[in-house]
Amino acid sequence: MRRRDTLVLIALALACGGCASFDPPQPWEKGDLAKPDMQFDPDPLAAKAKQHIYQSKEGAGGGYGVGGGGCGCN
Amino acid sequence: MAATEDRRGGSALLAAALALPGILPATAHAQTAPDQGVFAFRYFDYRDWQPEAERMTVRGPSLYVLAPLSDSLSFESSLVYDAMSGASPLYYNTLSGASGLGITDYRTAVDAKLTKYYDRFAIGVSAANSSERDYLSRALSMDVRTWTADKNRTFAFGVGAAKDSINPVNGSVEGKRRETYEYLFGVTQVLNAGAIVQSNLTYSDGRGYYDDPYKSFDRRPSTRRVWAWLTRYNQHVPRFDATLRFAYRYLHDSWSADSHLLEVEWAQPLPQQFTLTPTLRYITQDHAYFYHDPPLGSGFRIGQPYTADPRLSAFGGITASLRLARQLAGGWSADLAASIYRQRSSWRLGGDGSPGLLEFSARWVELGVQKTF
Repeated sequence: MRRRDTLVLIALALACGGCASFDPPQPWEKGDLAKPDMQFDPDPLAAKAKQHIYQSKEGAGGGYGVGGGGCGCN
Repeated sequence: MAATEDRRGGSALLAAALALPGILPATAHAQTAPDQGVFAFRYFDYRDWQPEAERMTVRGPSLYVLAPLSDSLSFESSLVYDAMSGASPLYYNTLSGASGLGITDYRTAVDAKLTKYYDRFAIGVSAANSSERDYLSRALSMDVRTWTADKNRTFAFGVGAAKDSINPVNGSVEGKRRETYEYLFGVTQVLNAGAIVQSNLTYSDGRGYYDDPYKSFDRRPSTRRVWAWLTRYNQHVPRFDATLRFAYRYLHDSWSADSHLLEVEWAQPLPQQFTLTPTLRYITQDHAYFYHDPPLGSGFRIGQPYTADPRLSAFGGITASLRLARQLAGGWSADLAASIYRQRSSWRLGGDGSPGLLEFSARWVELGVQKTF
């Protein structure tokens, strides 16, 4: 990967994170945050299956947690 | 996932409910023990291929249970069974099944986790076991999460260890072992009433046997260190009552198979308690420093690492997925999802994909049913 591509992608990721205003809510303002769609892994089984597929078909995986163990697929 | 009954007026109810312990499911940013249990069943059907040749088929069910054991203690467990058959590459695009000898195997994976919740932190302990005919992996891990008084910021720390045992059925080696230690540091920040961001940095340090005993000439380094930086951002979009989910991961690999991953999802609630979620995913990957382009054996040196495994080549991959979920009466929900995945050398960002490889494709379909109790 060229260094320029790396820097552009990292800058894009940071820029997207900066799109939102920073105004942490009060407890009574968290209704939308509690919705299932706002969770990072709303379906644990679907998330496991997805990570397993990509781990077995791409060079390396990771980033989602620790302790999942290995498999003979890679 | 499940549609919510809330459109506009339901927010106040949800906000009030948030004051109660356990309203959040046991996800990465849950700060209280769940007060409802979850039972989920999922069936998975996967198939992959290259031009004019079928490769692997994987089918199997999986189960998940989340049970609150007390006001401050929860238990989670999952069980996955995969039945695999077909052919995989011996090198580049030459398949093991071309000789008429396909692969048949199974994988049974089980994990369990206990999480204890305190006022300002939670501690989780988990164990996992995954077994195949030629592979056994056992893992233990612990995570600690702590949050600020307003619960808008959570720090996560994790450590895990896995011990793997490899005994290939072709007898090429016996009793080979691998140990992997993993470390995680993460921050989850509520940005405002409709946006949340999570950034995790994980480091994986592995030592032992990494060769693929079913691939020709395959000889890999005996250590592998991987840094993964994953940032996820969820934004509620009030105009459509929808959720935009964005993920970016940068992965730095001591084998030099570095990658960038981008994923965008849009979860759109529809009438009749349906939710439709399209997803697009793109990955661009470098080749491992010991991957050599065809023909087989080119670049091979005795005593030096070498692989012709196309998974360690330079390529780009795109996935398109569509998930339709419906909330049903009595705490039930169901979903159906379909995904198509394709890898091409020419899709690598900036060009320079590995030459001489055929396009690789996969599709998978999932059916899920879930019940809260």
